[in-house]
Amino acid sequence: MSTEARSAIFARLQTASAEATANDILRESWALGHAPYPPLPCENTEQAFLTNVLSNRGTVDHAQDRSAAVKAIGRYLYTHYRTQRFVAGNDPRLAAMPWRDAGLLPRFGTVEVGEPLTVGFARLGVAELGATVSWTGKGNPSANNLLAEHHITLVDSADIVATSEDAWPRIQADMERIGRPRGINFVAGPSSTADIEGQLVCGAHGPRAWHVIVIGKLPKDALANALATTADK
Amino acid sequence: MEQKSDTFLANAATAMNDTAAAQRRDIMAAFTPIIRQQSIDGFSSYEPTRKHLKRVRQHTLNHLAHYLAEFETQALANGNHVHFARTPQELNSTVLDICQQHSARRIAKGKSMVTEETGLTAELEKAGLQVIETDLGEYIVQQAGETPSHIVGPALHKSADDVRQLFLDIHPLGERELEHTSDMVAEAREVLRTHFLQAEVGIIGANALIAENGYAMLVTNEGNGDLCANLPPVLVICTTIDRVLPRAEDATAMLRLLVRSATGQPQTCYTSFYSGPRRAQDQDGPVEVHIVLLDNERSDILDSEYRGILECLRCGACLNHCPIYQSVGGHAYGWVYQGPMGSVLTPLLTSLEQSAALPNACTACGRCEEVCPADIPLPAMLRDLRAREYTEKLTPARWRFGIAAHAWLAQRPRLYHSLSGIAVKLLRLLGRRKGYLRHLPFAGGWSSQRDFPAPQAATFMQQLHDKQRRERQRHEH
Amino acid sequence: MNDVSSDQSVPSERPTVALFITCLVDLFRPSVGFASLSLLQRAGCEVVIPGQQTCCGQPAYNSGDYRGARALARQTLKQLEAADYVVVPSGSCAGMISEHYPRLLEGPWRERALAVAAKTYELNAFLHSVAPARLPVVKVKTDSVAYHDGCAGLRELHVRKQPRELLHSVCGITVKELQQPEVCCGFGGTFCAKMPQISARMADNKLKDVQASQAQLLCGGDMGCLLSLAGRASRNGQPIEVRHVAELLSGDLSAPAIGKDT
Repeated sequence: MSTEARSAIFARLQTASAEATANDILRESWALGHAPYPPLPCENTEQAFLTNVLSNRGTVDHAQDRSAAVKAIGRYLYTHYRTQRFVAGNDPRLAAMPWRDAGLLPRFGTVEVGEPLTVGFARLGVAELGATVSWTGKGNPSANNLLAEHHITLVDSADIVATSEDAWPRIQADMERIGRPRGINFVAGPSSTADIEGQLVCGAHGPRAWHVIVIGKLPKDALANALATTADK
Repeated sequence: MEQKSDTFLANAATAMNDTAAAQRRDIMAAFTPIIRQQSIDGFSSYEPTRKHLKRVRQHTLNHLAHYLAEFETQALANGNHVHFARTPQELNSTVLDICQQHSARRIAKGKSMVTEETGLTAELEKAGLQVIETDLGEYIVQQAGETPSHIVGPALHKSADDVRQLFLDIHPLGERELEHTSDMVAEAREVLRTHFLQAEVGIIGANALIAENGYAMLVTNEGNGDLCANLPPVLVICTTIDRVLPRAEDATAMLRLLVRSATGQPQTCYTSFYSGPRRAQDQDGPVEVHIVLLDNERSDILDSEYRGILECLRCGACLNHCPIYQSVGGHAYGWVYQGPMGSVLTPLLTSLEQSAALPNACTACGRCEEVCPADIPLPAMLRDLRAREYTEKLTPARWRFGIAAHAWLAQRPRLYHSLSGIAVKLLRLLGRRKGYLRHLPFAGGWSSQRDFPAPQAATFMQQLHDKQRRERQRHEH
Repeated sequence: MNDVSSDQSVPSERPTVALFITCLVDLFRPSVGFASLSLLQRAGCEVVIPGQQTCCGQPAYNSGDYRGARALARQTLKQLEAADYVVVPSGSCAGMISEHYPRLLEGPWRERALAVAAKTYELNAFLHSVAPARLPVVKVKTDSVAYHDGCAGLRELHVRKQPRELLHSVCGITVKELQQPEVCCGFGGTFCAKMPQISARMADNKLKDVQASQAQLLCGGDMGCLLSLAGRASRNGQPIEVRHVAELLSGDLSAPAIGKDT
């Protein structure tokens, strides 16, 4: 049935499509260019990223280095769950974190039902969207993004790009190295719904809270400024 | 889905009589435009992005055969099974076959208007499968035995009280209050979580298909679609052939408009691109992925003057800004798609005869076109559909006669002016004392709801004529 | 007809304006036609009123009778093309001429339609931005006025600030703004007769908005909307006074409001 349907549909589409060779189409597509540059809330990319994460109802923190990041995670775990335990993907970057600096006890692998906390390491942050981007794989089981109550995402400040147009070439470069990942996930906020009377509720199916920790150098006062701008709103 | 568009007026009357629901619609209609506007105001490149995307969408549709073939090639290379379906029935039986091949009993389904269009859930249930809608709005509607009233917010017609009562009735969880919306959301989360973990097949839609790399893009806030796409061992993606975009960057550019227009957010919580089954190094994900591409009249629409409607992003902004949608609600439209985009699509996807009322449910106020991120001339398309009704004699004879008689008369100015003079005199006689008429012959529609303001005096043209004659006479004397 | 224009300095070149009176004004409210005529003259124009004009063709056009609409479009164009400007006391009829005639017609007629479209104005827009002279100030007894933006005027012709500024500068009226000025009143030409219940609900919403603004007088630039709103208000027993904006601008409110005793 499907092959027959396929040829029927393509035959119909051919008559409705403009006559052009693949080369013509390619040239035409080049002429489309890129979408206009989207506005950022401020000039500085990292601050814009933090600001947009906050406006997407995420929470943010900054750590100068990996050791500081571990401590920041420790503080978050303690504040919310009084625990040192959490689940992390088999990302070599996560494996190499000095967890003992804060006495944390990660379990590496895929989150199981009932485990409330996951930590992942994003491949990119996109300032325009206030989103982190990661791809599924050994280092990042998709369940870890979705099944926990609180989802903590780390991102290196050097991996924060301005726009999604800047993100795709980076993703493409990785694809050339490791092949096309099964899933590319942009996360921009805790899971939410407004399906009942338009009232926004966080924690619809996925995490109720989403915490982003930027590791590495940030422009002076980027975090403070981002927090101040969102607090104004 | 069973169509009830032919009883639009009766559906509308029922909807308008439910005052509580009507009030909720009024509130939604007051605040959704404000939220959208704020979001657009904060996005200074809205207009140029809209123009850019228009070019991208038109380019893609001009070469749809090419891009669809490219998508297919890439999707196959990514390890997917790609199926084509000409009709809703073909899609349904393809999906049923897949489920049966895997001896699936439980299906977790994400929100997909395409599967609403084909009535997939009902077909699968007929075959004994348990299909659970996992988008909260769709879940509510499914459990209540209703249909979506809005393409983006399927259960927005229901009050929190309705949902509370529904959950108390259907979830056997004992005594509880469910006082707040968040309690209801939490309950649905628990109930559905179990289902996600047990389902053998996940079914989702796609917001875009990327030709250059064979990925399917899925956009949600709840994350339910991602759970459907990642937890069950088999994934079926159902969408239509017109959802293709050339490049990944086109899809993310489109999102800038889609999300702001739909919910006023800058970005949805989960935007995912799925390429196919799990890879060797993956720890989870489906082992088998099927993509089912439905035509259902779209190739015909592509070849017609309504091609532009295929550029629709399904954001729902036209519904949120339509005063008629506000008045009658989504169910009145009697099918899957509502509001202005629905009134264009429904006749094209089903039949004009069955949905003849829909293109008339428009005052040509133009607000939908103004807010449409795809810049689709919806009022003009609705007018063109009315023209088709007129030519195909679907317009009621009484109306056709009235319109034709008026046009005939208006083309004969002398006769027109003398007859309208007589008509005005008559109306003045009828409405003399009060300044209005309560009933008017031949205008039952109007006078059922309104008084008819009586004409002031003789027509302007007559008065002008008399004045000019008097002046001429004055000059002559 | 006598020139009623005032002490304003009138440019030596008085442009010729063809006044398209519109069928609803012709039939139901001639006083709006005379007010428009007088306003254009006060604003320094030579006004002609082509005698063979009837209807712009909107009812046929919107009902899908494109053939009938084309015939009326051609007839109307012939009436109007000689003048320097075409002015219409209705946003929807002006929009029909300037936006829809060029879409409806083809070939040489399309060229003619485009030429007329380029010089066609809704009354407020013309008086505000094009007319050679400013309107003289008039005394109007009411200052509690709301303005209803007709959809075609608002969205096709971008008439929004013009009537408000004119009401302010000519009548000293500050318009009381509605909560949802951009929402349709439910008239929609034949729509109100085809789907009267829905149309009435939309009118009720608009009237509610007007009531909340506490305005005692509702004016607008489109007779269709005004007749429909006045008719619904009368049926509901709402005491609101409904008038065309031209009546206020001309300072002549001697005619009873729409749908009130004659």
